Amino acid sequence: MIAQLWQYVLAGVVVGAIYALIAAGFVLIYQVTGLINFAQGEFAMIGAMTASALATSGMPVFEAAAIAVLVASVTGALCYLLAIRPARAATGVTLIFITLGLDVALRGLGLFVWGTNPLSLPAFTGGAAITVFGGVLPPQAMWVLLTDLLVFAALYLFFRHTYAGTAVRAAVANPPIASTFGIPLRTFAFWSFVAAAAIGGLGGVVVAPITSATYDMGLTLGLAGFVAAVLGGLDSLPGALVGGFVLGIVEKLAGGVLSTGWEQGVGFLILVLVLVLRPQGLLGRAVRRA
Amino acid sequence: MGGVLVSRASPAAYGRIALGLVLLVAVLVWFLPSYYTGLLTQIGLYALVTIGLNLFMGYAGQVSLGQAAFVGIGAYTSAALAVKGHVTPWVGLIAGALVAALVAYILSFIALRLRENLLALATLALGIVINVVFNEWEFIGGSSGFKDIPGFALGTFTFDQRAYAILAWALVAIGIWFAGNVVRSSFGRALVAISAGELGAQTLGVDSERLKRQTFVLSAVYAGVAGAVYASSFSYIDPSSFSFLLSVNFVLMSVIGGIRSMWGAVIGAAVVVALGQVLQNVVPVVLPSARGDFQSFFLGVILIAMLILLPRGITSRLREARA
Repeated sequence: MIAQLWQYVLAGVVVGAIYALIAAGFVLIYQVTGLINFAQGEFAMIGAMTASALATSGMPVFEAAAIAVLVASVTGALCYLLAIRPARAATGVTLIFITLGLDVALRGLGLFVWGTNPLSLPAFTGGAAITVFGGVLPPQAMWVLLTDLLVFAALYLFFRHTYAGTAVRAAVANPPIASTFGIPLRTFAFWSFVAAAAIGGLGGVVVAPITSATYDMGLTLGLAGFVAAVLGGLDSLPGALVGGFVLGIVEKLAGGVLSTGWEQGVGFLILVLVLVLRPQGLLGRAVRRA
Repeated sequence: MGGVLVSRASPAAYGRIALGLVLLVAVLVWFLPSYYTGLLTQIGLYALVTIGLNLFMGYAGQVSLGQAAFVGIGAYTSAALAVKGHVTPWVGLIAGALVAALVAYILSFIALRLRENLLALATLALGIVINVVFNEWEFIGGSSGFKDIPGFALGTFTFDQRAYAILAWALVAIGIWFAGNVVRSSFGRALVAISAGELGAQTLGVDSERLKRQTFVLSAVYAGVAGAVYASSFSYIDPSSFSFLLSVNFVLMSVIGGIRSMWGAVIGAAVVVALGQVLQNVVPVVLPSARGDFQSFFLGVILIAMLILLPRGITSRLREARA
């Protein structure tokens, strides 16, 4: 029984790492624009599908992965330029509907381009399964965790130790004042979409060898990413990391003990509890009645 | 959203036009092929849900991305009563509306504490949790749902496609008449005050929590009634009939027609259903590789385009043209 539970925890760590990446995208966009981007999960879908399609047609895995992240980033840029920016004057609810439209449109686009059949991506490196205290992880899990480490380290260094990162933090803290100091808020909004899309795309690429890639994977991943972001605190990148792992582990435990259908249900029950009991999330700072 | 706050039409005019619609449908069904009669029923049921959604989103200024779940609750309640308990769908209709209302009432204590972004997220999440319950609860059929759901009957007459179309539009007429009265009452003006600014409304003595809750429950009643009729008229339901994508479709209908308009709900439902038919027939000809639910691409693009170009919906343009 204990061994079984431990195996669920390990499986939860792997999916949790992906949730954390998608949650990081939410937090980036939310902090800079105040917007919840409902299309976030679709960036992961585009990354996963592009990499899988290229690899299937014979491209080496790492090249395919790099191009996939690039394609996801360009998608993010286009989303901002074509859908978000023209509606900047709109109210909150309108912007929510627009990102909802983006989600549905990107999923449909994925269906057009890649069809309904799942695509698979070879693991980045071969080798035997990794054993951790009696539990088993696929070799790809190491790449997933390594990606998390690199992405969150890069985000930390950017925000704490670069000039541009400091400027973004200033813009988040007080947009009007930051603006008077010449900080370009719109440019930051653009780059927050590009960065969120790149990170989401990367998450899709590294998870594809484990789950395989389908055109409709984005919604599930995106929703899990929301839950992780809200759980950790929508204004906290470390929160995204913690939220992702907590959600992944709880989901897999619930799925293992109850039934797999409850995985998503449990995630949303957590979301509802957090929204009601602690809307600022585990690591969030200010109480925002957004 | 701004715009015309209170429609100029009087309640009596609402009632007359709505009655005219029912008569039109009652005549049309004798000339249309049965396939189109089925579509007419579908438009009517979608319009009914959207009217309720417009009260909550357009007038009270809130947002719900989980309306399909209330349709599902109405449908499942009526179907379970009919299949398991041999209860007539007429009672199922009322029971479906009541259960949807009860669930909305309970959920409102969670969801309505939140605003905009988080409210959208919470309603979306609750909608999906309810869908998981449909899938996992074996008593109501689990993932395979209900088959051979008994239809409506009056005496010895069992409803056919025509009768369902007339029933659906009669319900639309009642729904529009009722919503029209709600909107023009002090209740409706208080809702508009909430959408303009909740704090401001509270300082004017509006009990915003209570009004939002009542409107949310009312929107669930509209959805529950539509769901109950849907279950009997299609005689088959499963959890995928009430997915997140259906909720997005309701948002699209609301936005296309005009979020603060009762007729807009009807127009939006008609446009979305017609569009679905056109896409289903045209796209596979142009792009033979297109399969599955490719229509969502166009629905998404149209939703974005509407919000950027015509954020107050088609009816706002009609109103300007008339003025």
